[in-house]
Amino acid sequence: MIDPIFQSENYHLARNLLDASVLRHEAIAANIANSDTPGYRRLDISPDFERQLKSRMDAGELVSAGPVAPRLVEDASARSLRPDGNTVELEGELLEMNRNAVEHEFLTEIVSNNLKQLRMAITGRPQA
Amino acid sequence: MNLISGIDVISSALNAQKTRLDIVAQNIANAQTTRTPDGGPYQRRIVSFENELIRQSSGVNVPSVRVAGITEDKSPGQQVYNPQHPDAGPDGNVSMPNVNLSYEMVDLITATRSYEANLTVVKNARQMALKTLNIGK
Repeated sequence: MIDPIFQSENYHLARNLLDASVLRHEAIAANIANSDTPGYRRLDISPDFERQLKSRMDAGELVSAGPVAPRLVEDASARSLRPDGNTVELEGELLEMNRNAVEHEFLTEIVSNNLKQLRMAITGRPQA
Repeated sequence: MNLISGIDVISSALNAQKTRLDIVAQNIANAQTTRTPDGGPYQRRIVSFENELIRQSSGVNVPSVRVAGITEDKSPGQQVYNPQHPDAGPDGNVSMPNVNLSYEMVDLITATRSYEANLTVVKNARQMALKTLNIGK
């Protein structure tokens, strides 16, 4: 009975993206921490993650195939403008961090609403 | 498990930047020191950073920062003609420390900004953790 709500595509997608946003925060933390380390190359979620997620969504097997695990890789597209070869831009990282925090908030909201719906179905009244 | 993501990386960075601030303070404090236990004028200290991989419980390696070493700047200091000075050489010149105040001030500002950026990340991570704890409420 409870299964169908936890089987919904949206719920699974939000869960998966929530994992990714926490991992992305970890990457941004490492990037900002290493903004003065010579030769450091910035980390980001591997582009495979989005591609894999999209192909699973298109194939309609998001729920059955289980979550896609995001991975951290060095950002190959980042170019260094500094003599020490470091590819971190502090402003860019801070913007990305704020964007990521908003995304995280939005995703927790979706997961929350899914659970609230379930609770309403059980109790028959909206939560106080 | 780490509830606040990236906290150990950030704490290493805060430590490293604080060491840098300490060294800037030491350099500025010794900008006029012409005599040291090793003899000769004070030599400006430089901090260098390196990264070190921290293994997370999630199996992801994240690079944290570590102070690689504190080295002395070997460049020669200024020679100032001041025969009354107790450390003056036979020609009346005193070798001053090679501390350049403008370099130190720039370093001070850079280190402070870095420190602030790292603190912002912690604040944000904390907010995210609180939002996660509020799921379903």
